[in-house]
Amino acid sequence: MASGTSDIAIIGGGVVGLSTALGLLRSGRQVTVFDGADMDLRASQGNFGLVWLQGKGADFAPYAEWTRDAVAAWPDFAGGLKDLTGTDVALDQSGGFEFFTDSEEFSDFAAALGRQQAVLGNRFSHEIVSGDDLRRSHPGIGPDVVGASFCPLDGHVNPLRLLQVLRCAVLGAGGRLVTDAHVVDVQASGGGFDLTLRDATRVTAERIVLCAGLGTSALAGKLGFRTRVRPQRGELLITEKLAERLPFLSSTIRQVDEGGVQIGGTKADAGPDDSETLEVMAGLARHAVQVFPALADVRVVRAWGALRVMSPDGYPVYARSRLHPDAHLVTCHSGVTLAPLHATALADWINGSVDAPNLEAFDENRFALSDAA
Amino acid sequence: MHELDLIIIGAGPAGMTAAATAAKHGARVLLLDEQRRSGGQIYRDVGETDSARPYLGKDYAAGRALVAALNAPGIDIEVDATVWRVDAGPRVIWSRGGKSHVTRARHVLLASGAQERPTPFPGWTLPGVMPAGAAQILMKTSGLLPRDAVLAGSGPLIYLIAAQMIDAGARPRALVETQSPRMLLRAARHLPRALLATPTLLKGLGLIAKIRAAGITRHIGATGFSAEKTENGDILFSFTAKGHRHQIATPLLLTHQGVVPSTHISRAAGVAHEWNEAQQAFQAKTDPWGRTDVHGIHVAGDGAGIGGADAAKAAGRLAALDILHRLGRLTEDARNQTAAADRAAHRRAMAIRPFLDAAYAPLPEILAPEGDTIVCRCEEITAADIHASLKEGAKGPRQVKTATRAGMGPCQGRMCDLTVRGILANCGATPATPRARSPIKPVKLGELAALTSHKETSP
Repeated sequence: MASGTSDIAIIGGGVVGLSTALGLLRSGRQVTVFDGADMDLRASQGNFGLVWLQGKGADFAPYAEWTRDAVAAWPDFAGGLKDLTGTDVALDQSGGFEFFTDSEEFSDFAAALGRQQAVLGNRFSHEIVSGDDLRRSHPGIGPDVVGASFCPLDGHVNPLRLLQVLRCAVLGAGGRLVTDAHVVDVQASGGGFDLTLRDATRVTAERIVLCAGLGTSALAGKLGFRTRVRPQRGELLITEKLAERLPFLSSTIRQVDEGGVQIGGTKADAGPDDSETLEVMAGLARHAVQVFPALADVRVVRAWGALRVMSPDGYPVYARSRLHPDAHLVTCHSGVTLAPLHATALADWINGSVDAPNLEAFDENRFALSDAA
Repeated sequence: MHELDLIIIGAGPAGMTAAATAAKHGARVLLLDEQRRSGGQIYRDVGETDSARPYLGKDYAAGRALVAALNAPGIDIEVDATVWRVDAGPRVIWSRGGKSHVTRARHVLLASGAQERPTPFPGWTLPGVMPAGAAQILMKTSGLLPRDAVLAGSGPLIYLIAAQMIDAGARPRALVETQSPRMLLRAARHLPRALLATPTLLKGLGLIAKIRAAGITRHIGATGFSAEKTENGDILFSFTAKGHRHQIATPLLLTHQGVVPSTHISRAAGVAHEWNEAQQAFQAKTDPWGRTDVHGIHVAGDGAGIGGADAAKAAGRLAALDILHRLGRLTEDARNQTAAADRAAHRRAMAIRPFLDAAYAPLPEILAPEGDTIVCRCEEITAADIHASLKEGAKGPRQVKTATRAGMGPCQGRMCDLTVRGILANCGATPATPRARSPIKPVKLGELAALTSHKETSP
């Protein structure tokens, strides 16, 4: 079933792989997406769904610019997906907060936003709000909150629906989606690539885009890439559905369109372990209750861990293999925020079009060879 | 402070027997149960009802001795205690009255028993349609008797409940049974082994004789269940039997397709599970002592495969003996010698299972419903929705869940995991055991937040 030849093979059927596939399909290419097994680690099935700008690239201008472009492209992207599939991904870009209970962290973050503001100029705006001002505008905010930052450009979508809609959009645009297709080997051969799937099926492709999330490292070396990614665990809580709407969106507390409140934002190096842990669950709950005490009576129905896909410096990697120029590597941990660009400009870059964006800053030559050891 | 030797979760036949056995050999035991009183589902409230509800029968009353045996030094019982997480280590996190407790012990025994298999068919979520076991619980706890009910489905429990209803003067209007003569014939090859459990067989035949003597209509080999609400609020129940479509109006339709292991807690604790093809259910994987692959966690009773109360009692004792051995309170020889009688009892109790599993196997259309039939009650996801997600490329339970939201509601898949699995299997997949996450029962954010400064208790 999976055998045959395709113009471009995308390894990875998560949000990054599917967005990239959609862009390439729209540029007229023939695309096959190889998606892994049901129980594989999938950041796209466990994430928070933020379309987020504040804090991104304060110390790396190209990332600040790229993220700003993505956030601006989201309304058209969401509209296009709805036209293609009839499904709304519940995009809401009415601004988002970052809440602080620690004064030092608050002032550090305010400084970072200042640097981001300097990079983006009038393409960015933010406010630094004291705890008391915040409690005047948002009476439900708890007394432990020392302050918050607010960026009117921040927002969120329903991430699971986005994943599903992207699948449908890729199929609708004529893409092939091969599921339960774990790629175990890839070799360059005679101007193309030979892929071997776990069930020993062999496939060939003229070009290849590696978007395999945490599966990237296993294949990157075979294609001459030096990029290696590592898992970073985030833990999340979701509550029962509420009839009322939460009066804010923040990077750690958001109400999904179905009504439940999602709480997250933790970071831990736990290797491939995506368990939820009691101590972190309790810490997330305390954070939520500190920010908005009325949440204390809301019931948590599920906690989970999910693994972020982190490059050595945390920024995206868009790389063309030096050994095999028809092999590309795409990885980032902001697959939702960056999806509109992956579904448009990235295709131009992969196609080598004249009007392709300059992604030189995201090349993997910024990593030492020893990173790939 | 004394260290606890053993926390037992679930005060049914397995848990109560294990507690008494462990305490008899000097172990300090904490027994947790979600209900108000010990007894489990099968002996629900048996310590309270006394002789007031004789129609519940002799077997039910037998639970009284188990409850009485809990009154022993070394056993602490916490009722109304909802366990919402079990960690390797092991430690147990449980909630009562809005406060959560973290309790550590050297061993944990999960004895969470069984739950009724969900019975999805068109109309099964209407008010007026309920699981037969739930109706029986109402008879045990509050003496509520179903009037003019129709019992539909299959399994020994249907006959038991019918007989209890007859004895209580609340005759069911009809029994609509899904097992066919062909299924009974196929089951017959297991009869020689089942003869080891002759008393159980005779008991079953006695129940059927009672139903027959009471002149209750029985339909056999019924399929194609569907329920609608009538104008006067009754349920109009339709089914096909002997080639004809039948309709019965009833105020209460009680359905049953057997019981399945309650595995939410063991799956969330990271215990390995396996698929039991004969029982069409997932069960915790254990060795003959109930030990799992997670250090310090044993499972006993129906959670490790449906065997009924007598098997659960034996398994509870076997697990307790093994734990006592691990605690250094019994030598290996003493454990093995004491266990011999329990092993024999367990074998006897399990002898009838292959016959029952084959004779009262759930209907394929219930295992893998189609069309508009609701699969996930919490999120109102239909069988057609599940099929659509498969068409879009979902290959397993996780992708089905994230694509459809089936299993994301308050019950976290307790009511739909098996149905999703049935549909996947019907479509050619070999689905893995679905993962369960804590909290396995909802817990308030405020209660969870209070745990940031928790002290582990060891009463």
